[in-house]
Amino acid sequence: MKNRNENMEAIIIDFGSQWTHRIHRTLTYLDVSSKIVPVTTPVADILKADALIFSGGAIRIGLGDANQTGNARKYVEEFTGPMLGICAGQQFIGMHFGGTAQPAAGPEYGKVELTIDEHNELFAGLPDKFSVWASHNDEVINTPGFKVLAHSKDCSNHAFKSLSRPIYGCLFHPEVEHTQHGSQIYANFLKIARK
Amino acid sequence: MGFVPKKFIEDATSQMHSQVGKKHAIIAVSGGVDSMTAAAIASKAIPKQLTCIFVDTGLMRKNEAHLVSAAASRAGIPLQVINASDKFFSSLKGITDPEEKRKIIGKLFIDVFEEAAKSSKAEFLIQGTIAPDWIESGSGLRDTIKSHHNVGGLPQKMGLFLCEPMHELYKDEVRKVAREIGLPAEFSERQPFPGPGLAVRIMGEITPQKAEIVREACAIVEEELEAAAHAKKMEMPWQYFAVLLPIKTVGVLGGARTYSYTIAVRAVESLDGMTAKACRIPPEVLEQISDRITRVLKEHVNRVVYDTTSKPPGTIEWE
Repeated sequence: MKNRNENMEAIIIDFGSQWTHRIHRTLTYLDVSSKIVPVTTPVADILKADALIFSGGAIRIGLGDANQTGNARKYVEEFTGPMLGICAGQQFIGMHFGGTAQPAAGPEYGKVELTIDEHNELFAGLPDKFSVWASHNDEVINTPGFKVLAHSKDCSNHAFKSLSRPIYGCLFHPEVEHTQHGSQIYANFLKIARK
Repeated sequence: MGFVPKKFIEDATSQMHSQVGKKHAIIAVSGGVDSMTAAAIASKAIPKQLTCIFVDTGLMRKNEAHLVSAAASRAGIPLQVINASDKFFSSLKGITDPEEKRKIIGKLFIDVFEEAAKSSKAEFLIQGTIAPDWIESGSGLRDTIKSHHNVGGLPQKMGLFLCEPMHELYKDEVRKVAREIGLPAEFSERQPFPGPGLAVRIMGEITPQKAEIVREACAIVEEELEAAAHAKKMEMPWQYFAVLLPIKTVGVLGGARTYSYTIAVRAVESLDGMTAKACRIPPEVLEQISDRITRVLKEHVNRVVYDTTSKPPGTIEWE
């Protein structure tokens, strides 16, 4: 039987997270090939991907470190397929489209209880509440053109989606083992990429 | 689907053949599952071109050199034990910064390996480096959390080529490879032990005496938690050990005042070491650990605390 994910390739833009390689592992276990690339990668090289994922990282997007993201702005402008931003990646995407990235009102490290506000395609089939793992000093808020999909007690915008393009973001980290249903979130995202 | 150990071993073997060719290689094993699995792959791939060494740094677990070399020879991997503890203690004298400790240890290991390589004319150093080692060692945008001795702790110039067959794997995957290749459970299921050994479990300056204290405390933590898990009082933790803190506090022993060190107990559940949660140890087990440590080590330790921090924000080892 031909594997339905065969020939699909996701590119992971590395913002320097300790868990970037975990994203690669999660996709490998979902039988999707992926490549981790630095932010200096020429735009032409990433345009052939079926999906883009922006990793997290220690860079402080809202505090001026967005200038360390190399060609990432061009990727967001020129790549028209599905994109997913994680943590700093979510903040980067949110800020690119006019949101405010700033030190979080309630920074979260380790276990966080997540409440899903809208079960759309990203959270399809998941419970209303579950535990996720986070590690963030900052957050992105007031994101025009984006709909908030999930929140926690301390953080109002834990996941969002664009209203006009297949662009998604999570402040928490679905790629780590302690996040419940994390692999399903990536599987849901990849399902969007296969359409 | 996902990770297939059998295929991994085939690929790693052919990669080793093409990288090392007919040259000689040395591999240093620490007794942990990573290096032992790399040694098992190498001893099948290039059996006649391999020297396996075990460096006793003086910062190993209780009876480690003896237990590991006996178990390795039962597993068909004969080890040459090199005692370098004097060198390690003298180089670490007066050093308190965790990164400085790790870099000194990384350099000392390479010195010992290069010396050992001379006699066997080895040109390659095989290491059991796995993904968290190079991830946490940092590079580019990725911050350095800890310089692992086998990556960030390596000196810039060294006279051996590196061969790292398990570079992309995590601990749970290494265990699958270890089982597939037939390593006994005493290796494949053994808890992780840091490359720099007890050096990163002694906060502040390292001395032979402090190494003795933390070694004994680690042995007690291991025995008690293994017994509790065995008796089904709790799940077996993923990693569990003692840390010697440099702070002294006041106690009372046999009616007399004491002023001595504190031991922190750490036990976590994890899959891959990249995230972790403190174990819920039954109170009576914690009490038993505390009682034993403060009795056996009464000259040095009068207080025991339990670390309840997750990773993040903590790391598993304290340094």
